[in-house]
Amino acid sequence: MLESSERGGVATQQIRTRDKDSLAQFLGWFSVGLGTAQIAAPKQMCKLVGASGEGAARIVMRLMGAREITQGVGILTRPRPTTWLWSRVAGDGLDLALLGLTAAKNRKARSAFAIANVLAVAVPDVYESLHLSRKQGEPQRGMLVRKAVTINRPRNEVEQAWAGAQELREKMLNVNAQVSFTPAPGSRGTELAVEFVQAPPAGDLGGAVLKLAGKDLATELTDDLRRFKQVVETGEVVRSDSTPAGHLLARQLRQRPAQPIEEAVR
Amino acid sequence: MRATCWMGRNAVEVENVPDPKILNERDAIVRITSTAICGSDLHLVDGYVPLMKKGDVLGHEFMGEVVEVGKGVGNLSIGDRVVVPFPIACGACNACERQLYSLCENSNPNARLAEKMFGHPTAGIFGYSHLTGGFAGGQSEYARVPFADVGPIKIENGVSDESVLFLSDVFPTGYMGAEMCDISDGDVIAIWGAGPVGQFAAASARMLGAERVFVIDRFEYRLRIAREHTGAETLNYEDVDSVPEALKELTGGRGPDACIEAVGMEAHFYGPLYAYDRIKQAARLETERPFALREAIMSCRPGGIVSVVGVYGGFVDKFPMGALMNKGVSMRTGQCHVQRYLRPLLERIQEGEIDPSFIITHRLPLDDAARGYELFKNKQDDCLKVVLTP
Repeated sequence: MLESSERGGVATQQIRTRDKDSLAQFLGWFSVGLGTAQIAAPKQMCKLVGASGEGAARIVMRLMGAREITQGVGILTRPRPTTWLWSRVAGDGLDLALLGLTAAKNRKARSAFAIANVLAVAVPDVYESLHLSRKQGEPQRGMLVRKAVTINRPRNEVEQAWAGAQELREKMLNVNAQVSFTPAPGSRGTELAVEFVQAPPAGDLGGAVLKLAGKDLATELTDDLRRFKQVVETGEVVRSDSTPAGHLLARQLRQRPAQPIEEAVR
Repeated sequence: MRATCWMGRNAVEVENVPDPKILNERDAIVRITSTAICGSDLHLVDGYVPLMKKGDVLGHEFMGEVVEVGKGVGNLSIGDRVVVPFPIACGACNACERQLYSLCENSNPNARLAEKMFGHPTAGIFGYSHLTGGFAGGQSEYARVPFADVGPIKIENGVSDESVLFLSDVFPTGYMGAEMCDISDGDVIAIWGAGPVGQFAAASARMLGAERVFVIDRFEYRLRIAREHTGAETLNYEDVDSVPEALKELTGGRGPDACIEAVGMEAHFYGPLYAYDRIKQAARLETERPFALREAIMSCRPGGIVSVVGVYGGFVDKFPMGALMNKGVSMRTGQCHVQRYLRPLLERIQEGEIDPSFIITHRLPLDDAARGYELFKNKQDDCLKVVLTP
């Protein structure tokens, strides 16, 4: 969590991140992607590794795909997926054995290429599994998110405006967010910072779904703070012809053309 | 109303669109009397600026008469004649307070998109892609002007549209290009590009006291205008083997004290490096063809300044960082903070120091906008600047 301490007049902040690093996350998504391909297109995947693509080989390919997806989901949803990563290492062993059999049977160069690929991904699997095995203590489920904006007004004015922004304040209360106001250096106004722990349901998987929908809290907060800054500094939420409702990330990818609107939105 | 719309790459059409309305209290609606096509509009038409949408109204150089004001606009009234600066600025944020209007923190409703591209959002701009806010532009009969209490400058009757229209963009942009050179006594300034911005950069460099100004281009008619109207000497790069070498010889071996790059992402040149950039840009492997920029850095004297007012959008290849660093050359750049220059430059116009209308080569009705784009883009009929009248 956030640890603030004053050392010789300089405030230092440490933001402790969760156990799972980007490599584990990558391996999780890799599993999901590979597994999906294996289930959706077993014939092509069989051909890719030098197998026949008929009968039993196809069924085995699909089963391995189901295994990959299970492992991927496990990695992406657990706060510290040590066991799931070791299961990937075991899966690599199984894949190598199956590919070895295929290579012995069909004698195709593609099988050798596939074996090289499995070996290549086995290295980060083992590395990350060992890395997570060394972790101790309670796993960190959430990530501390900090969003800050500088508003070009004195602190009391910003605080006053905040007191008036009831919807925004309620939202912060609902997610247990810490809100702080500090004067920005050199009369640059006031820094407004919001901190909260983000732990979406179903871990990274849930986080990705929310993010794609533009509904994750971090994104929403960024929008909210930007609009709050606009209101305090300029008195209004700025609208353009393509974004008549003002700044909302969720709408930014599906905009209307920059052309006057038939009916004015107030 | 009639409005010039972007309908896809290399497709500009004048369409019927709804009339603009007040959306914010600090808006005004302007009935446009004169508007111009800008070189940077060509980057949009050529498809090199991301996030355009079919139907976007183009145009960011315009002026006209105020026909409606929002409740929050105290300084304008109906009937006022105004020139509208191309960046939209709130006047209240940290950037605006420091007069860095094109960096306004509040005027871009698509701030998140800009943040992804540039790390930080920049100001909203009329008719200049959704990256800069998705505001409808001014090559049309009417335009909605947000923060109308900050941007537009009132123009008295008796001054013609053509003399003041270019306060909206190209004159201040050229002026800022020259100002960023910190010109002092005896300075020699070299300017890449004899388009409208290059012309005003040359004229401004002379106004700010440059001893000699060289303008570099390949179109003789543009170089002629520079010679006749800005007091610059000219260099046709197709006539010399190497521009940096030629500039060196023309400056006693020193090189120009400052270089102004008024070309941007679609620089033209010849030779293998041009082919390299052209192919990479067409394949979208790099977004810019930075030929003029490279040359400006190579030409600049050690300890000099390279001032970049040409427009860039993304990434540049083969950037001579070694030359920049080892020669101790400073690079200065930015979209023009037009609001900062409106008053002083209007004064210069009124005192007769300059008449910016010298760049106009074509006057067309708004409905002929598509032809105007053709003429300007292909440099047909000695085109330098097209003014459209609704």
